Amino acid sequence: MAFKRQSAQWPWQGLLVVILLGLAIGLWIATKQVHYEWRWARVPQYFAYQEEEPQTAPFAGTVIKISPAGDASQVTIQPESGVQPVTVTVKTATLKVADGAQVSEDDEIGVLRGDWRIGPLTQGLWVTIWISFVSGLIGMIIGLITGLCRISKNLTLRGLAVLYIELIRGTPLLVQIFIFYFFIGTVLHLDRIVAGIGALSLFVGAYTAEIIRAGIQSIPKGQSEAARSLGMSAAETMIHIVLPQAFKRVLPPLAGQFISLIKDSSLVSVIAITDLTKSGREIITSSFATFEIWFTVALLYLVVTSVLSQLLFWLERRFARSD
Amino acid sequence: MIEVNRLIKIFEGRDYVVRAVDDVSTRIAKGEVVVIIGPSGSGKSTFLRCLNGLEEFDDGQVIIDGIDIAGSKTNLNAVRREVGMVFQHFNLFPHKTVLENVTLAQRVVRKRKAAEANEKAMALLTKVGIAEKANEYPSRLSGGQQQRVAIARALAMDPKVMLFDEPTSALDPEMVGEVLDVMKQLAREGMTMAVVTHEMGFAREVAHRVLFMDAGKVLEDAPPARFFTAPNEPRAQAFLKQVL
Ligand SMILES: Nc1ncnc2c1ncn2[C@@H]1O[C@H](COP(=O)(O)OP(=O)(O)O)[C@@H](O)[C@H]1O
Ligand SMILES: [Mg+2]
Repeated sequence: MAFKRQSAQWPWQGLLVVILLGLAIGLWIATKQVHYEWRWARVPQYFAYQEEEPQTAPFAGTVIKISPAGDASQVTIQPESGVQPVTVTVKTATLKVADGAQVSEDDEIGVLRGDWRIGPLTQGLWVTIWISFVSGLIGMIIGLITGLCRISKNLTLRGLAVLYIELIRGTPLLVQIFIFYFFIGTVLHLDRIVAGIGALSLFVGAYTAEIIRAGIQSIPKGQSEAARSLGMSAAETMIHIVLPQAFKRVLPPLAGQFISLIKDSSLVSVIAITDLTKSGREIITSSFATFEIWFTVALLYLVVTSVLSQLLFWLERRFARSD
Repeated sequence: MIEVNRLIKIFEGRDYVVRAVDDVSTRIAKGEVVVIIGPSGSGKSTFLRCLNGLEEFDDGQVIIDGIDIAGSKTNLNAVRREVGMVFQHFNLFPHKTVLENVTLAQRVVRKRKAAEANEKAMALLTKVGIAEKANEYPSRLSGGQQQRVAIARALAMDPKVMLFDEPTSALDPEMVGEVLDVMKQLAREGMTMAVVTHEMGFAREVAHRVLFMDAGKVLEDAPPARFFTAPNEPRAQAFLKQVL
């Protein structure tokens, strides 16, 4: 009787843990070697922070009372030449005066926390997401049209499609972005965002075109012959019969292309679009938390791409219904 | 109904030239059932596919119901509406349910309303005995069932002619009968049919004429009674000896 041998899994799981642990220790030793001081506490403020409003003395006088109120303190100041004392509220942790101290006009007493603000990391993430999304959408449309041209009977359309695809696939995206921004962008007076989206769209379009062409050609000829034999036109056959089936097949590679695009979009930071990567670079110049910020930026890309992978996995399963 | 004059179809590649249909002329009258037989590679499929323009021919004329299908002013899509075709491998649309397979072209090509198309589809599915599977996807059906759906799909366009290209060749033996029964019923109802098949029983029982093809040429054109008992051509005799 044949049976599936139940091999023990735990030695391999153990080995995996050991290797991961080894990597972590290696990383730790490496950072010790360069005397790197980790400052993870600095990272959260770049996602969102509370605006700080310095509070100053409205006039010269004496602090006559400090009374706590939650994590804030109320500082009461008696003016030298005056009548009514005035109360200023600041965060206790930022308190700069003591009871009985003399203050002159505009002396800082402490800081009051104001409204929550969105930090540069969140802003950069948002820019990355929407630029990728818009470029992806335009790129898919370009890719669909180019893919159809690529298999068209018309020689001109086919030639143009091949030329475009070869040009884009044969040159680095970074160079394309520079050309789009410095050459086309200057000639047409394009905004840097428009130039960035344009370059990314053309880039995705070329790769999508090849995916869509392969998808269409993977549908058996009998399908379009059956449709044509019923009197459907070439366009009706494409729309009702070939494309829906092709789309189902190309969904996984198309999704992969889109996920790549999110990562590739980091290159638009070279034309000063403040996406996630550019935000990271800007933050590092002021925070000095180089490692932490790059790790965080990497993690953010990872989160976005894995969420998307999951979403598409789910979508694929929905589409698999009629198989 | 169908008139074919000196039809020639040549396949040409880098290192081969095949005269798949070589100077074929014939007529199929309204209500006539013509069975085309012949060895594999003799050009039966190619001939059939020329009749509805799926294959562009090199020379000759195909006239369907008075319309020259290669004419410069001919709308080929309009001709194909009138010519149903059933394929060896069914070619059902896998992303559509059985019902949608039968209604799609009615809606897209004939511009029928959903209710009308559905009613027509259900009537035809009932006729081919498969109405209870209307909402299944084709992959859930047996080969015989799929081929019957394919016949219903073609009939939904109200064709004047039906072409069958080896409709039972891809079926398990026990499913051949159910498809042939549907075809026999169609023949009894007076449908004009051109059928490529290896089912000699069907040819004998239903055909008004049998065409025997070899190497792109029609070598015999006779009523089945004469063809099966006393074929003129030695190649037809040899072929019959093999299959009978
Ligand atoms: N698309 C094609 N390209 C090249 N040769 C073809 C093509 N289709 C058919 N042929 C050739 O034409 C001849 C007739 O084929 P076909 O009509 O399929 O024969 P049958 O249906 O009688 O078996 C064969 O020699 C076949 O190889
Ligand atoms: Mg054949």
